[in-house]
This record gives sequence, structure tokens and C-alpha cells, in this order.
Amino acid sequence: MNFFVTSIESLGTKVTGWFSVGYNLFAFLAKALLLLLDRTTWNRATFDVVVKQVYFTAVQILTVFLGYTLVISWLIITIILTTARDFGLTEFATEMTIRVLVLELLPFLTALFIALRSGSAINTEVALMQVNNELDALAHCKVPPMQFEFLPRLIGGVVSVITLAGLAGLFALLLSYLSIYGLSMAGFEAFTQTIAKIFDFQILAGLIAKCALFGLAVTLIPVTAGLETPKKLFMVPVSVLRGMMRVFFAIVAIEVVSLALKYI
Amino acid sequence: MAAVAALPDDVARVALELPLRANLSALDNIALIPLYQRHFDAAESTQQAQAVLDQLGYAEIAPLRDPDMTPAQRFVTQLGRALILNRSRLIIDRPGAMLYDVPYPDFIRQLAEQTSMSGTWEIFDFSWNQVLYNQALKSE
Repeated sequence: MNFFVTSIESLGTKVTGWFSVGYNLFAFLAKALLLLLDRTTWNRATFDVVVKQVYFTAVQILTVFLGYTLVISWLIITIILTTARDFGLTEFATEMTIRVLVLELLPFLTALFIALRSGSAINTEVALMQVNNELDALAHCKVPPMQFEFLPRLIGGVVSVITLAGLAGLFALLLSYLSIYGLSMAGFEAFTQTIAKIFDFQILAGLIAKCALFGLAVTLIPVTAGLETPKKLFMVPVSVLRGMMRVFFAIVAIEVVSLALKYI
Repeated sequence: MAAVAALPDDVARVALELPLRANLSALDNIALIPLYQRHFDAAESTQQAQAVLDQLGYAEIAPLRDPDMTPAQRFVTQLGRALILNRSRLIIDRPGAMLYDVPYPDFIRQLAEQTSMSGTWEIFDFSWNQVLYNQALKSE
């Protein structure tokens, strides 16, 4: 009986904890969106920090990221082409490549890349700011942390994931054309027709929305996880661990929902 | 100490619990105030922050970040940030906790003499440190 009661209590604590995390996340997002609509937010200082964030999140990693996406794209394209040839389905190879790589795999890998590089750093930094009272100091000086610290990171994350995924997609398209048709222009019309057939407005809007959600997940969740950190230094690694687990689940959930909406 | 923490808005406080932003330089920590509160542009804000550091006699610490500063340099940056707030009262809360590398009553007095702040400076300290202030007054 005692075990039963303890189990129910523990389950209840977990469920209320999840609700509390979800509530904090959406409350923070709502606050950020409201601030985004406020004209006073868009001053030179905020814009400068946004540019700096985009630089740190996207531009600084550009060469490594493009190298990594080119290698993965080349591998996947080769696997798809070989399999398509083996089964006599060469005419579907282009469409398959675009659907697998450009619509699904590259945005997902981009989100993971940004989450591991920038999401973990954001989580650690916000947690340390919370533990060291730096946020209290900013509040004392009437410097809004949302405008100065958080909003630029959210915008930077969204812009970075969308642009990096877009860039990776373009390189993958180029690579897939070269792998299928070589340096000849013979297949250009058929290739562009396939692209036009796949990328209707709905798919394109869905892809941008998915990348934006990925960008939000890899920045918003680390920021809120960092803010939840109790003011104890040894809790910083725990905060990062929790934050990154949530980011992983959120990225997978977004991908699963996007796949379900497209193909079911 | 709770009374110090719950001070009104017209008080600028320098305290161990109100640290600098660790990833910003001394100059940027001070420049944040004109940049975000008074919406000056970055160049003007930096100029104002540099003027505060110049006035305090610590122009050379401008590029240093918190971990690279000595306790005295860190205190001067916190003081600069508090001064640029332009509030009528300045409260230095337990300076001994921040200035453990200098004889702080003298140090604070020298800094106060260098600035042109029109408001009042108040120091909140433990009663057993009173002797340090008495010594500083005697040496004047």
C-alpha cells in the first residue's frame, strides 16, 4: 500500500513538473513574441546583438557545417542512386533525393548541429548568469535581460537554422544534379521540373515553418532551462543535461509531426 | 542586509551580489546603461563609459573582462556602472567583501574625490569594521 502511494505521489510530482516546464516555456515564448511586436524593442542595440548572435551561431561555423553537410549529402545521394539503379527505379532517384535530403534529413541535422554547438552553450551561459546573480544585476541597472540577452538568441537561432538548412539544401541539390547527370546540362529541365513539382507553396511554407520551430527549440528550451537553475553552482551541469534532453525530444517531436502531416 | 536589497529605485547599489556581466569587457558593462536605458547609439554609449573610467583613473581596464580583473579593478567597474546610472544615492554594500586587496576606506574616499557625482555616497558595512574607517579619517 505504501509503495502504491509513493508511486502515485512520484508520478504526480513528475506530471506537475512537466506541466510547469511546459507552462514556463510557453509563457516565456508569449512574452518574447509580445516584445517582438513592441516598437521600442527594435532599437540599434538589440539589432546589433541579433547580428552578433547570427554571426556566432551561423557564420562562424559555416565552413565546418558545409563540409559536414556535403559529405553526408554525397553519401546519402550515392546510397539512393545505387539502390534506385539496383531496383530499376532511376526515374524516382531525383525526387527521392530531394525528399529525403532537402526536406527531412538536412533540416534535422542542422537543428542537431546548432543544438549541440549553440544550444548547450546558451543553456550553460544562462544557467551561470542565473547562479551568479548577473540577471539580478541587469535588473538593478534596468537593462532588460529579455531584450539584451534572450530575444537576440531566439531570433539568432531561428534565422540561423533557416539559412543554414536552406544553404545545405541548395548544396545538396547541386550535388545531386552532379551525381545524377554529371557536368552535362542535358538533365537540367527534367531536374528543375522535379524540383518545381515537389516544392509547391505548402511544402515550402511547411519547410520554413519546420526550420523556424527547430530554431526556436534549440534556443528557447536552453534559455528556459537555464532560467530554472537553482542558485547553486553544482546545478549548472544538471540544468544543461535537462535542457539538452528537452531539446532532443522537441526536435524529434517536430520532425515526427512534420512527417505525419506530410505523409499520413 | 534585506533592507539593503529592498532599496528604492533611486538608489544605485554596488554589491558583491550584483556582479558584472562576465562575458563583457569593463567598458561594455558600463556602456550597457546608456545603450539600453537612454537609447544612445553604441559609439556614444562607449564614449560615455570611457569617460567614467577616465574620471575614476582606470582608463586602462576598459578591455578587461571580469575574470581578468583584480578585485579593485572589478570594484571600479561596478562603481562606474553605478555612477552612470545617475541616481541620487549611491550605496556601497559591504565593500570589504569586494575590496579584499586594498585598504578600502582610503581607496573609496580617493575614488569619491575623483568623481563629479552630485548625489550622496553611503557605505553599509559591518560594525566591527568601523575601526578601519576611523584609521582612514585619522590619516587624513
